[in-house]
Amino acid sequence: MTIAMTGQISLEQAKSVVEFLESGQQAAADAIIAEIQNPINSELFAEIGKLTRQLHDSLTNFQLDSRLSDLATADIPDAKERLNYVITMTEDAANKTMDAVEAIFPVVDTLAEQVAAVNPSWTKLMNNDLDLKEFKSLCLDIDTLLKNTGKETQHIHSLMTDVLMAQDFQDLTGQVIRKVIELVREVEESLINMLTAFGISAEKVQGKTTPKVGENLVEGPIVNTENRDDVVEDQDDVDDLLSSLGF
Amino acid sequence: MKVLVVDDFSTMRRIVKNLLRDLGFTNISEADDGSTALPMLQGGDFDFVVTDWNMPGMQGIDLLKAIRADASLSHIPVLLITAEAKKEQIVMAAQAGVNGYIVKPFTAATLKTKLDKIFARLA
Repeated sequence: MTIAMTGQISLEQAKSVVEFLESGQQAAADAIIAEIQNPINSELFAEIGKLTRQLHDSLTNFQLDSRLSDLATADIPDAKERLNYVITMTEDAANKTMDAVEAIFPVVDTLAEQVAAVNPSWTKLMNNDLDLKEFKSLCLDIDTLLKNTGKETQHIHSLMTDVLMAQDFQDLTGQVIRKVIELVREVEESLINMLTAFGISAEKVQGKTTPKVGENLVEGPIVNTENRDDVVEDQDDVDDLLSSLGF
Repeated sequence: MKVLVVDDFSTMRRIVKNLLRDLGFTNISEADDGSTALPMLQGGDFDFVVTDWNMPGMQGIDLLKAIRADASLSHIPVLLITAEAKKEQIVMAAQAGVNGYIVKPFTAATLKTKLDKIFARLA
């Protein structure tokens, strides 16, 4: 704002003001002052008007993003809790599954051992090569094997049901993650709105940038391998790359 | 053969341990990052290290470099099992002297193939 502070009042005007004041004509003196101020005022008012409009626009834009403060104070902390819940749920599921599988391994191994133990006598029997004493012993072994197999298959069945039930996390974590994705989308929108309000073009903002990487280029699992040429897609790619390096 | 499995996720350590056990490795210890693993390696007579890359504290690649830099450990074969899939990183690991690189998600068959290859080379 540039308002010339010189040349706004003439000598005559100044003299008139003094004369009016000396002769007690206050109103006339004020009128001259008002006349002098008029051009300054109109310029000042125009400037204030412009600033007011800008302020108004900025405030409107900020109001538009008042959702941002809710996001920051409520939704994002909530999302963190939700994502921690996902970690807990998936970890529990993995452990429940491995508990069951690790319990199944020895059962299956025991059955396999018992079958292997019976097998030589059984082969002899099939070849009509088994004497009575051996036959009696084989009958007892097979009796044990059948009883064990019956019992253990039930055991395995129940463990397999545990494995099945451990997969119920997928539904729950899926819902939670979907909600967090929606939140991320909303935050993205609000941030872009804010950037736009500050005069940064959203297109420029949305422009192609690569995600931040940590020390040693650490980035974690790559989910869009097909869109990138700086990453391998699978183990075969890894093996090809390593063999091209003389591995 | 004494094996050290290094991963910050206990579930992944458990998976790798189960797979290794299936392949006949029974003497398996665990560490949750490089800085825990390194003193264990220096204190024990380990023959083989399976490590993740991305871990809080000391990363797998830095553990590998530390192993190669330590005269008493440098002979130990190191297998990386990691989700890190940038070509630059695979080259980095190769240059640091890794013996095998498996990218997650992986299969039991891949692990067996890589182990066979590593030990065939050393034999």
